[in-house]
Amino acid sequence: MSGRSNKFSPYLFISPALLLFGFVVLVPVLMTFVFSFYDWNGIGTMKFTGFDNYIRAFQDRVYMNSYGHTLIYIVATVFVEVIAGLGLAGLITMGRKGSGLFRLAFFVPVMLPMIVVSYLWKFVYNSDFGLINILLEKIGLESWTRVWLGNPDTALYAICIVSGWVYAGFYMTIFYSGIQRISREVYESAYLDGAGEGQIFFKIKVPMIRNLVETGIMLCVLTGFQSFDLFYVMTNGGPYNSTEIVTTYLVKVVFTHMSIGYGSALAVIMTIVIAVIGLVAGRLNKKDSSVLEY
Amino acid sequence: MNKRMIALISTMLVTALTGCSSAASNNSPANNGGSDAKPETLRIAMGSPGEGLIKVWETIGKEFEAQHQGIKVEFSYQDDDTYQTIGLPNLLSGKNAPDLYFEWAGQRLQTRVTDGYAADITEQLQSSGLKDMFAEGTFNGMVIDGKTYMIPTAGDVTNVIFYNKAVFNDLGLQPPATWEEFLKVCETIKQAGITPLVIGNSDLWTAGNWVAHIISRVVGEDAYSEAMQLKQPFNSPDFVKAYGYVQELWDKGYINENVTAASDSEADMLFLNGSGAMHPIGSWLAPTAVEETPELELGYFNTPAIPDGKGNQDSVIGVLNGMVVNKNSKLIDEAIEFMKLYSSPESSKKLSDAGAVPITKDGIDKETMLPLSLELNDLMENAPALVSPPDTGYSIEVANALNMATSEVIGGAKSPEEALAELETTIAPLK
Repeated sequence: MSGRSNKFSPYLFISPALLLFGFVVLVPVLMTFVFSFYDWNGIGTMKFTGFDNYIRAFQDRVYMNSYGHTLIYIVATVFVEVIAGLGLAGLITMGRKGSGLFRLAFFVPVMLPMIVVSYLWKFVYNSDFGLINILLEKIGLESWTRVWLGNPDTALYAICIVSGWVYAGFYMTIFYSGIQRISREVYESAYLDGAGEGQIFFKIKVPMIRNLVETGIMLCVLTGFQSFDLFYVMTNGGPYNSTEIVTTYLVKVVFTHMSIGYGSALAVIMTIVIAVIGLVAGRLNKKDSSVLEY
Repeated sequence: MNKRMIALISTMLVTALTGCSSAASNNSPANNGGSDAKPETLRIAMGSPGEGLIKVWETIGKEFEAQHQGIKVEFSYQDDDTYQTIGLPNLLSGKNAPDLYFEWAGQRLQTRVTDGYAADITEQLQSSGLKDMFAEGTFNGMVIDGKTYMIPTAGDVTNVIFYNKAVFNDLGLQPPATWEEFLKVCETIKQAGITPLVIGNSDLWTAGNWVAHIISRVVGEDAYSEAMQLKQPFNSPDFVKAYGYVQELWDKGYINENVTAASDSEADMLFLNGSGAMHPIGSWLAPTAVEETPELELGYFNTPAIPDGKGNQDSVIGVLNGMVVNKNSKLIDEAIEFMKLYSSPESSKKLSDAGAVPITKDGIDKETMLPLSLELNDLMENAPALVSPPDTGYSIEVANALNMATSEVIGGAKSPEEALAELETTIAPLK
């Protein structure tokens, strides 16, 4: 083999993958960045406006608030998804009768398409014939009934709960598999020392899968920015933008208002925000490695 | 080994490339030879008119092909939402742009004209006799600077107030003519334990359209239109006054509590099932009502006259739509011919059989059409002033901002002043 062809061939080998990556990822990303400096509706003439789109973004009340909503959503989902999932994993690994059934039951929502879940819960929250309001009326708590998705005070939390209902099962499965790997001897000696289920959960199960829990929280935070379908179907940002998250607002700006330039700027800002969060989280993760080994 | 792989990959690449280019050359009609005239394609684009109407369009297409040798008619239907937002612009800027496409009259048509996608067809309409097939009022919003750019195909009154005749009879009520009477009617209905007005405003356009009509009645059609085009501010005493009427409806409990959460179809069902007495929505409710609740006696009245309103108190809010000929098309005359065939009495008959409401002069079949649809059609054609709803008549961004403010007022979340102040901040970057 001549040295010449060796130099050339590696590039040829990676070229299909590189071209594919270039056209579907790299070029669009760069184009978005370029578009963000223009005033453009997608078909007409492009007008260069410098940083106008970015200035507008920072003055855009709805856009800025949407980060707040995303933040509330993320904090809430860390509790209703990861922490609840952890609790469920602890419960189903207690070895009681029927825990297999519960394991399946908690996991079922994960398998449902998000669109189906969203419509299902829209009916549950419906103010006229929804399950929640009817139940409240039946047990005499009529004053507690709300227009759950039509009230800016409750809509966002109502969505968070649905998110928890779906993904608690997902995180439960992850933690369940982690807890399964803890060897029996650990439990046995704990039982012999007189530990209760509560102590076993907090002092053995949770510390030993700490890595997984951290990964779970990380996943929850980063996917929080990607959530879209649930919000889009259940409220589409309403009432009065109180459930507007970055992605739903982006879709509105780009596809309804046809402001490709402004939308691109919003997308670039969002990318930077996520990248920063990812980097910071990565740093924090590296610092402590005092995890129990098993 | 190495060399063989390289050879293999390069052959793959070469085949892929030539594959592309040969496909492209096959597409060009230049080398087809043989026939006297090369076949041309008349491309027609629209949203989804529904199964029944698609059949009619295609039958008319076949007829047209039979009459015009060498022309093939090709339809492209898209999901309505897609078509309205990204679909049509993509088609127009694409390689095989449509020669004839569906569009809404008013601001949207204006945009197409500005972007150079709409042909001035004033002369063709005259010479082909198409113009005389429609009543003068049907071209509302299709004439820009004295030039006509559209062939009307349909119209919808977007808001009248439908009411349940049974409820009105039980309570001894008459359809109100003035706002004062309207409030009295609402109060009586509320006292009887029925929700006076049901509106499903989760998508913002439902209340947005109706309240825009109220606004135009109070501030005047021109002031409304100018504000929508950002030529004058929204936050003015007149707009505050208009929103004041809306706020009163919410404050007095005349509107369903879940107005912000319910969708338009949910509200339709609430009304049709008797949960509410009145429902401000468009003419499309009439066929739905006949289908879903045939026993329900449905009446309607136009938005009541508002005291001291600056607008025409008999105005009607509605949209007209039609087909636009692409300015870049090579088949402009053929497109006009097609629309002539489409507007003929024979085609109109087929259309109304399929459930559409043709708006040509002689296309309306007074016997088979729903009486209510007929009345609404008359209402629009005889309207002394036709108001365009925010989302089809004007820039969608301004429309959404106005609709948001409206939803805040009608849902009791903000006072008129606050909502309008916020609206001004939202649209500030658009000026």
